[in-house]
Amino acid sequence: MNWRVIRVILVILAVVLLLKGCIVKDIKPVDNSAITQKETVQNVEYPTPKNVEINGIDYLQSQAPVGKFGGELITSTIGQGPKTFNPFNSKDNISAAMSGIMYDGLLSTHPVTGQPVPRLAKSFEILPDGMTYIIKLRHGIKWSDGKPITADDVVFTWNDIIFAGLGDTSTRDSMVIDGKLPTVRKIDDYTVEFETPKPYAPFIRSLSASIAPKHVFAPAVKKGGAYFDSFLSTTTKPEDFVVSGAFKLKEYLPAQRVVYVRNPNYYEINTKDEKLPYLDKLVYLIVGDLNNEILKFEAGEIDVITLQGAKVARYKTLEPHSDYTLYNLGPATSTMYLSVNLNDRKNENNKYYVNPIKQKWFQDINFRRAVDLAIDRKNMVFNIANGIGTPLFTPESLNSIYLNKKLKPFDRNIQQAENYLKKSGFYRDKKGNLFDKDGHRVEFDLYTNAGNTEREAIGVMVKQDLEDLGMKVNFKPIEFNSLVNKLVSTFDWDMVIMGLTGSPLEPNSGKNVWMSDGRLHMFNMRTPNEGKKNILPWEKELDEMFTKGALATSFDDRKKYYDRYQEIIYNEKPMVYIYSPVIINAIRRKFKNIYPSSLNGLTHNLEEIYVEEK
Amino acid sequence: METLKYIFKRILQTIPLLVMVSLISFFIIRLSPVDPLAELKLNPSISPETVQKEKERLGLDKPIIVQYGKWAISFVKGDLGVTSNGEKVSRKLQERIPYTLLLTSIVILLTWLVGVPLGIIAAVNWKTPFDRILTVLTSVGMAIPSFFFAVLLLMFAVKTGWFPIGGLTSPNFAEMNFGRKFLDISYHLILPVAVLFTISLAGLQRQMRANMLDVLDSDYVKFARAKGLSEFKVVYKHALRNAINPMITLLGFEFAGLLSGAALTEYVFNYPGLGTLILEAVMKSDINLVMASLMMGAVMLVAGNLIADILLVITDPRIRVKS
Repeated sequence: MNWRVIRVILVILAVVLLLKGCIVKDIKPVDNSAITQKETVQNVEYPTPKNVEINGIDYLQSQAPVGKFGGELITSTIGQGPKTFNPFNSKDNISAAMSGIMYDGLLSTHPVTGQPVPRLAKSFEILPDGMTYIIKLRHGIKWSDGKPITADDVVFTWNDIIFAGLGDTSTRDSMVIDGKLPTVRKIDDYTVEFETPKPYAPFIRSLSASIAPKHVFAPAVKKGGAYFDSFLSTTTKPEDFVVSGAFKLKEYLPAQRVVYVRNPNYYEINTKDEKLPYLDKLVYLIVGDLNNEILKFEAGEIDVITLQGAKVARYKTLEPHSDYTLYNLGPATSTMYLSVNLNDRKNENNKYYVNPIKQKWFQDINFRRAVDLAIDRKNMVFNIANGIGTPLFTPESLNSIYLNKKLKPFDRNIQQAENYLKKSGFYRDKKGNLFDKDGHRVEFDLYTNAGNTEREAIGVMVKQDLEDLGMKVNFKPIEFNSLVNKLVSTFDWDMVIMGLTGSPLEPNSGKNVWMSDGRLHMFNMRTPNEGKKNILPWEKELDEMFTKGALATSFDDRKKYYDRYQEIIYNEKPMVYIYSPVIINAIRRKFKNIYPSSLNGLTHNLEEIYVEEK
Repeated sequence: METLKYIFKRILQTIPLLVMVSLISFFIIRLSPVDPLAELKLNPSISPETVQKEKERLGLDKPIIVQYGKWAISFVKGDLGVTSNGEKVSRKLQERIPYTLLLTSIVILLTWLVGVPLGIIAAVNWKTPFDRILTVLTSVGMAIPSFFFAVLLLMFAVKTGWFPIGGLTSPNFAEMNFGRKFLDISYHLILPVAVLFTISLAGLQRQMRANMLDVLDSDYVKFARAKGLSEFKVVYKHALRNAINPMITLLGFEFAGLLSGAALTEYVFNYPGLGTLILEAVMKSDINLVMASLMMGAVMLVAGNLIADILLVITDPRIRVKS
């Protein structure tokens, strides 16, 4: 009899205790803004490598402190791993990075200034006509199999692979100027000349494309495009790779890892004239998702990690008691924006893409100004990016070397926003609802792609901010493909939150977005038949800036044009920029010669990094 | 001869089944709103010509029925086609199948070696404390979702440092000798095997216990006891043989799960098996890869059932007599 009572009590007690155990005290909210403010981008002076000649061989000499040889660096890549190791056939970022490690280009990017610097090339020169590029190669440097690297390899790579359209054609596509391709010519064994049909400044960035060893690639090229697509694939034996980069493939296990070993013939030396790289091995673990990556870092299985906003605070507090250091690499190159549909044309069924009533609002600069002023960027950075981000006001990302620094950030200002709306005749009724001067209720749809939690969160906050002005916003996250279809084919949308990744080095890469007939000119997209129909004055000026910017050769001239383009967007607000996340990386402290770069990342100088044993 | 005829008939019956499965899966994938080219279309540096070329390469410019026909013809010829990246599907599968088989066959072997005897012992010792404790434990085992359990074990591994965080081999695996390689793989397998083992053991043990209890209650067992046979003979000769039949059907289903049963656990443990490969293929609507895996699943299920039926014919004289 008593037994039963006791049993019941015991069970209740157990459940209560269990529940108690589950309710952890509320975790104190950590103020992340302090972290980003305290920890501004580390402006590290990177000791630029120099050219030196020893016994007739033109080495590249690292100026970083001399380190110890040996050890390994284990890093990770999320997803399915590389699809190919052929640098001319890589259509995704991971494959491009994995093959890029093995095949150096003629030039690379300076991690601090972003200017082109020689890599496989000894030096380069642009003749005053802005069309001719003279590249001098290094004497006596070798492929990993001991054969010399000469002008023949360069000419072969450009003529027979890139210009011939083998593999991935995006490099080639980006260089077609008025339907013509640049030409390449061998002057002597160590000199190559490139010539573009017109002065075309973005060309210099293309010279960082990998160079292929002719004696290995030529037989594959002869067999044609289909064979080339499977050449140097993930099933190729590691011994068959002949490389110029610091590391060479050792082992690839699908869904597990990629292992590289030192290339003994690498052309960079340290100040003691010893051949780099310092590391014996470089390992990329292929991990399934972010959570697995974080766990692996915490368990010490990987050495470097990119931290997501929410994790930064915890890592920062743990840092003093741990074996890693956090580095702030500055704002990411990706930009988040709110775009308004300015389309004022009809489709083939003679119907407007955008409701004419809404068109009037969207075409109105005062309306767009009000939207811009109503958006609380700081609040979004704080709440969505956990404080690990920077408000953004320009189409160029904050680490772009072409960023127009004159365009000032501003705070949310509802009063001013209301004034702009009043100027255009908008009024609010007693309930605070906004109407236009013809008495139409201001109500529109706001889209973003469902599943992207960051954009969905931004959408919710934008909706709230705009409702403060009395607008009615129907926020509709929809499936990514349907959204893309709306943006590039059917044009039936009002406002959208999207993101784009641009190049911090070359604004011309965004010309498809800004040119009035561009393929991604989303805010006022025209069909190919429409050409440049109903072009707005400032759109015309944008076209001009992008055309001139590509033709000008000196950095200062180009900067002027690209400054103006940013100013136009800043003033006309077809796209309202929101914020850029800030990139925070962590790396174990035993690795030395770390020079974080906002442009090239944390481990851009893999050959100089060494392990200091404790 | 009879058995051969039976097998042949069964194989013929699977053909319309496979056609149905392939038709339904193909149309569902193609009608889903996932556009394999959406990413390309929104990339500023990709030209419209390239997008068009990709469309033609993937055959997306043709009507669905033509796409299906093309796929079906090459499937019948034994060609699984290429993935959206241009790699051979058969190769991709070949890379992963051994790893998944390694994991699932260890698990199945372990659960059967442990689960069946445990079920028998529990049934024989019905309502004793031993049986009660086992019942509670298996209830817990059945209640934990595999996904959650896997994550818990991973956290455990991080906190204690006793186990690796997923994967199958250590980075320096290539330099190990055979013995150390064996140990390394075993070390990595402990956690995923533990997850799958706990969950499938629970079900199997209960099934075996229930079957055994059923049989132990039947008249012929009572008769055997009354005849004065030893308890050992009663249980292991008379009861067990009859209790094992439903388990053989179950074995057929386990066979079907050999390739696909561990997908979730594989994903959490970052295990280089089929699970992660197929999950990503589904997300990207990589039709050939998804179709290949679905067909593989269907074939395995049919084959599993077939094997179970054949085994039943061998073990159960009643079925033989009927046919």
